[in-house]
Amino acid sequence: MVAETKGLARAREIYQDRPRRAKELKAEGRKIVGYLCIYSPSEMMTALDLVPYRIFGDMKEPTTEADRGLPAAFCPIMRSCLHLGLKGRYDFLDGMVVAHSCDAQEKTVHVWECLISPPYFHFLDVPGTVHKASQDYFKEGLKDLKKTLESFAGKELSSEKLKRAIEAHNQQRSLVREMYELRKPDPPLISGTETLQVIKALMSIPVEEGNELLKQVITEVKERKDGPQKKPARLLIWGSTIDDISLIEIIETAEANLVVDDHCGGTRAYWTDVELTEDPIDGLAYHYLVELKCPRTYVDAVYGGTSKDYMADLESRFGYIKDYAKGWNVNGVILQSVRYCDCHGFETPQIKDYLDSLGLPNTYLEHDYSEGALAALRTRVQAFLEMIRL
Amino acid sequence: MVAKEEKKKAISRLKSMYPLRAKVDESYQKSVEAMRAGKPAAWAMVNWWQGDPIVKAMDVEVVYPENYGTVCASAGIAESYLDRADADGFPTHLCGYSRNTFGYTSRMIKEFGGEIPPDAPMGGMPKPVLLLSSDAVCDARYKWFQALGRYMGVPLWTLEMPIPGVKELFMEGVYERCINFMVKELREFVAFLERLLGRKMDWSSLDETVNTMIELCRVWHEVNELRKAKPCPMHSRDFWSAMPASLFLLGDVKDSLELYRDMYNEVKYRVDNHIGAIAEEKYRLAFSELPPWHSLGFFDRLAERGWNFVIESWAYHPPIPIDLSGVSDPLERIARLAFQWQVGYFEGAVKEKEYFGYMGYPYLVYAREYKYDGAFLHPLITCRSASTHLKYVQEMLMRKVKVPSIVIEGDIVDLRLFDPADALSKAEPFEETMEHYKKVRKEEGFDW
Repeated sequence: MVAETKGLARAREIYQDRPRRAKELKAEGRKIVGYLCIYSPSEMMTALDLVPYRIFGDMKEPTTEADRGLPAAFCPIMRSCLHLGLKGRYDFLDGMVVAHSCDAQEKTVHVWECLISPPYFHFLDVPGTVHKASQDYFKEGLKDLKKTLESFAGKELSSEKLKRAIEAHNQQRSLVREMYELRKPDPPLISGTETLQVIKALMSIPVEEGNELLKQVITEVKERKDGPQKKPARLLIWGSTIDDISLIEIIETAEANLVVDDHCGGTRAYWTDVELTEDPIDGLAYHYLVELKCPRTYVDAVYGGTSKDYMADLESRFGYIKDYAKGWNVNGVILQSVRYCDCHGFETPQIKDYLDSLGLPNTYLEHDYSEGALAALRTRVQAFLEMIRL
Repeated sequence: MVAKEEKKKAISRLKSMYPLRAKVDESYQKSVEAMRAGKPAAWAMVNWWQGDPIVKAMDVEVVYPENYGTVCASAGIAESYLDRADADGFPTHLCGYSRNTFGYTSRMIKEFGGEIPPDAPMGGMPKPVLLLSSDAVCDARYKWFQALGRYMGVPLWTLEMPIPGVKELFMEGVYERCINFMVKELREFVAFLERLLGRKMDWSSLDETVNTMIELCRVWHEVNELRKAKPCPMHSRDFWSAMPASLFLLGDVKDSLELYRDMYNEVKYRVDNHIGAIAEEKYRLAFSELPPWHSLGFFDRLAERGWNFVIESWAYHPPIPIDLSGVSDPLERIARLAFQWQVGYFEGAVKEKEYFGYMGYPYLVYAREYKYDGAFLHPLITCRSASTHLKYVQEMLMRKVKVPSIVIEGDIVDLRLFDPADALSKAEPFEETMEHYKKVRKEEGFDW
């Protein structure tokens, strides 16, 4: 089916009704494979003509069904995802590829597999460290995934097919980075709200359609005259998954433009390309284990170093945020995390130390991934903007 | 006074537990003294037999901040450390043990220049030369030590524990790949320690320590196998008191092995003579996860009602024994033992399509083997890893074996989150529930 809308309107349309396109593709005979976070290698699914489809929660819906499988004091995003799964909202998925990114996700997917039993389900273990032995182990795990995907798809995954898929996804990464370049001017040419709608759309449709959508968006944004207004604050937002524009709108309806981000509903999946290695799985293994930036991975400034320098450690872990801040001329950072996220929770005081060392004003917002949290967040954001009034 | 003493006897504690516990406590004190005298010290997470034999063989003294969290909670000082961690910017939802450590370390470094705070219970934890974490079971256990970098420039090593899925484990080559990965990592860890400490590994010492550790785990497993008897001869209180000598390898490993053997003999005697851990066993229960360390007297009150706790969380039990006598490399024996703990129940889990193969499925096996009437589930507000699976366990036990659960929330450190009186008020209704499901199980053909 040919989409009637284009560019930003099309992205908004997909954002508002994500399953629609997936269900159309399913009706055409395509298999839809769900994944929960960016550690599941979409390239492998694409290479087998499967449609990777990211499972998100819905912060507007109470997570009543999740009580069947998860405690209340638990990652509210995972609770929301499981709730939607148990309600049958993801019944159109033909299978799932899930990765051991954080423990909350790892444990949720075991419950998911038991209580929902998708027809195809593969669990990909991801080491906590990036040592050479970890990379080797992870690479072999990707080969196992390849085997079960081949069996599920009923076809062989050749190196050539995988390389073509990596190229298509790398093109998407490149186009996303080009879209983010449009946020460098003051005022930015595209808002944070629009960007999130585009990213979430990309994670709902086949890569080729996504690349076409991105080209349309980039052209439209460059040509339009009614983009975001200039505002005093140019902010970066960091933290756990943001998959709903409500939080972004709070920032952008105040005296701030959100110009760049560091979370897995934004830059994290797109910032580096997968290297096209002779054995394409080598490139995938390195990219997904070593290059993806998420606090779930333990990274040493010096592997096996017998001394520790805290600032060197912070620089090795967060140096890329300095690059974001410089490149997008950021003058304030919002650190945000859902409650009960251990990975981001432990990270927060350290990233604050790093931002303080750069002289970048910052604030930490914790929320429970619900609409009810928004009013309090609005107040906190306004207070922060008052504090950094320029 | 008489009534009080009678209450104390509601649980008949094992005599053999006391010398084992005393050895553990004594070894902790010795470690602290040695560290204070300048011996290299490590802070370690529970690492399920991977790192402990290696640091022991390298003659490094080890203390366990997780354990120390329970010490601080019992001593009533944890709240002040939690408050300090809050003030230092750590979110309040993080692991209670970690926040206790942040508060303790912040005070040690900022107020006492790296010296142990004078009011630290049990001699405190001296500043280490090494932080040893593990990624087994929860993210917090390496993120927490990483965050200690805010206070101390101490090198950190993270041990790897692969966790394949239940189905995926049985794909060709996966098991051996996991072992190879662990062995490579352990070899790197040894090399790192040699660089850090400036001395070589004593491989013969490691070989001997590993063999003793494997036998210790086997004997400890056999002790717990005896608890399947009716009445159950050993209460969970004794399990928790005795487990540090296995789980953390606290104390001299050879001494501990002999003391576990003594415990086996005592428990066997009780089984042979039909002696239970409580006077009249009306209900057999499983306990999950970590107990309320600050309110252990609570179990005496339940014992008075005839509640005997016959099995506990999988995570604190030794692995199902496997024959490692043909494995010459001590690092490989370590890897195989630890991995057996991790995946020892997967074969049954995959057959039964229960994919929470390590933290969840063992409760089902225990229900059938230990024939418990109810599961006491204790979700911990600041410990996701010890709580995440409990809803699933509750659902699985009812679905598969018609065993009901009671859920009482609490915490490992923050005693304000556990209300023993409220918990006890739920005992009577739960007894009715257990009675009901005894009938249901009988009707459905179960043998307990």
